[in-house]
Amino acid sequence: MDLLTAPFEVERRRRPTPVIGALCLVGALMLGGVAGGQWLERQGGLGRELGLAIEGAAIHGGFIAQGLVIALAGRSASAAIALRVTGALLAAFLLGHLLPWGSLTFLLLPPLLAHECRGHPMLQRIGFLAPPRPVSLLVGLAVGAFLGGHLLVTSSLSFGYAIAVVSVGAYASAVAYDIGANALSAEWLFRGALFSHWWRHWGFWGAAAVSTAFTLVRYLLDPALPQAPEARTGAIVYLAALALGGAVLRAWSGSLLPGYLASVAFFAAYRALVVG
Amino acid sequence: MSPLRHLYLIPVAWAALRGGARAGGLLGLMAGFFQVPLVLPAIERAGLTGAAVEGLVSLALPPAVGVIAGMLRDESRARARRLAALLEIEQCLAREAPLPVRLDGVAAVVRRGLKAARVGVLVGTTGDAPALGSAPPGARLAPGSAADWSLTTARPVRSADLASDARFTLAGPAAPSPRRGLILPMDAGAGTVGVLALEWQGEVAAGTDAAAAEIALHLALGVENARLTMRQRRFAGELEDKVAAATRRLREIDQAKSEFLSVVSHELRTPLTALEGFAELLLTRAVPPERAARFLRHIHAEARRLGRIVAELLDLSRLEVGVSPDLKREPIDLAAHVERQLELFAGVHPGHRFSWKVEGPLPAIRADRDALDRVLQNLLSNAVKYSPRGGEVRVAARAAADGLVELRVEDEGVGIPARDIPRIFDKYVRIANQETASVRGLGLGLSLVRALVEAHGGRIEVESEAGKGSIFRVILPV
Repeated sequence: MDLLTAPFEVERRRRPTPVIGALCLVGALMLGGVAGGQWLERQGGLGRELGLAIEGAAIHGGFIAQGLVIALAGRSASAAIALRVTGALLAAFLLGHLLPWGSLTFLLLPPLLAHECRGHPMLQRIGFLAPPRPVSLLVGLAVGAFLGGHLLVTSSLSFGYAIAVVSVGAYASAVAYDIGANALSAEWLFRGALFSHWWRHWGFWGAAAVSTAFTLVRYLLDPALPQAPEARTGAIVYLAALALGGAVLRAWSGSLLPGYLASVAFFAAYRALVVG
Repeated sequence: MSPLRHLYLIPVAWAALRGGARAGGLLGLMAGFFQVPLVLPAIERAGLTGAAVEGLVSLALPPAVGVIAGMLRDESRARARRLAALLEIEQCLAREAPLPVRLDGVAAVVRRGLKAARVGVLVGTTGDAPALGSAPPGARLAPGSAADWSLTTARPVRSADLASDARFTLAGPAAPSPRRGLILPMDAGAGTVGVLALEWQGEVAAGTDAAAAEIALHLALGVENARLTMRQRRFAGELEDKVAAATRRLREIDQAKSEFLSVVSHELRTPLTALEGFAELLLTRAVPPERAARFLRHIHAEARRLGRIVAELLDLSRLEVGVSPDLKREPIDLAAHVERQLELFAGVHPGHRFSWKVEGPLPAIRADRDALDRVLQNLLSNAVKYSPRGGEVRVAARAAADGLVELRVEDEGVGIPARDIPRIFDKYVRIANQETASVRGLGLGLSLVRALVEAHGGRIEVESEAGKGSIFRVILPV
């Protein structure tokens, strides 16, 4: 019992860590990547494909890098992991743009990230571990499936949106992107690093509220989100529910995995919705 | 819109009452979500009509009912659990078991009551090795820890997460959920009696801090009560022992008095019989003058003996009522006085050897001559009586520090067992010994000696070992 045995110094204060500086650097690199990608995009031809890939890799790689910086308290190991994962993301985006089934390479990202992080027990603090209760994986899938199913039913009943898989290839690519980039980077940063960090200081509800707000900002700024008002309102409701559900799952299971599965299941359902 | 939508409230209320706010809220949320496809299309079709508003209300109702009913249920359960825990704590503290075992029981109850991961209960202070109970059991207290600091300073320690709290130095990787820590001094108003240390893993229910403070206060009261009860029990035990000892002593005194009466009767009868016999002979027969003179000497000796017995009895009666002996102090040359008494004793007891030694210059003392005689006679008489196999009786005197004179009488007799030494100066006490069973006496000699010595402002000490002899030291002021 640490209260009885661990050395205690009442006057000791936390030493400033280089986290803020590293986060700013990662943010700057993200913006730089996006700007560079957009410039290349405007050049047309192969440059367009390369620009889109750089943009995607910069955003999702940046999210993962920021999560690593927070989780590893600015240690240099986070930079090496982030660079390798961002490189893999860039490759996946490029292949996704250049080859019909190239997006399936996104499926390699979760195992790659797990492999890169396996030697860092500190990452357990953000929930990077297998859940002690395997049933929580099923619960995560059920939560995502429920929200996704609900989204489909409500959208089709309320707004007449169609539910259809127009192209199996496009659907599989979109789901692969969610698995290897979208859901992965969002869970890693918003539930993993940010929620876990704030949970230790502000309690569950404070941390869940702020991390949910960050999640909403991230998706509302995403140009891929449909611009119709009802679609944006629905996105706010469902993404907030998904983010809160992810926080609950993270707190209940101790692991990021159930929340990640919930996200994947939700987005898998969302990809079957034909908006407009 | 179907009025059956309100049926959602039944499972929500059931979940809230069974599983609390979380279960009620979750099921209520799901019920709300289930109603969304019924409510939103209607709004989309007809706008925000009265029916649509009613639909929105019925959509929000299940989660609200689930959360509120669940919170009420949680609060009520928490109160009941706390009350049960407080009663169980009382039971644990009142058990007949070593303190750490009782504290282990208390820690287990607190752990259950507050849903903590680990609990430690420390009673005592850092100076006197506090008793520790813990759940799970087997915890130890390390110097320099937070509990040690709290015990020393009587101040609480709160930590939202031990792993990210800079004040703690923890070993091993951080857990995936926060580990909350709370240490509360246990103080019922009469000072800190210990500390209650609690660790939680993950989220902690609202109101837990207040419940922990309530339990800490209750524990402090319980520990104080347990201490008082233990003190009371110890006091009652001591009182019982004292009463038993006093009763035993009273019985001994009663028995000694009976024996004393029997001995006194015998001691009085012997000289009286002699007096009566010799007087009758002188009265009834013509006795030649030399025989008559011998009879008269016998009568005189027996009369003196009677007188001594009566004097001792008078002294005894004075002692009984707490009156000090009447002393006529005069300057006495102790060496000459002792030497004279010793000569008399040596003449009467040829079976013993008497030695006398003055160690260094001896000042004269101011004492009652008669009382000093009786002190010496009693000590020498005892030395002879309790040395049935003969041996040497050594008498010595010396000037002691602070204007005192020490007179020492040492024999090689049967000695006194260590357990009997504290009562040899009591009245009527005679120490049983097979070798000296035939020795006659009233059991008053040493109590008289002590009374006489103390009346002179002195004291008497004894050193003895069974089978090896005794040394009596009389210390008198000059």
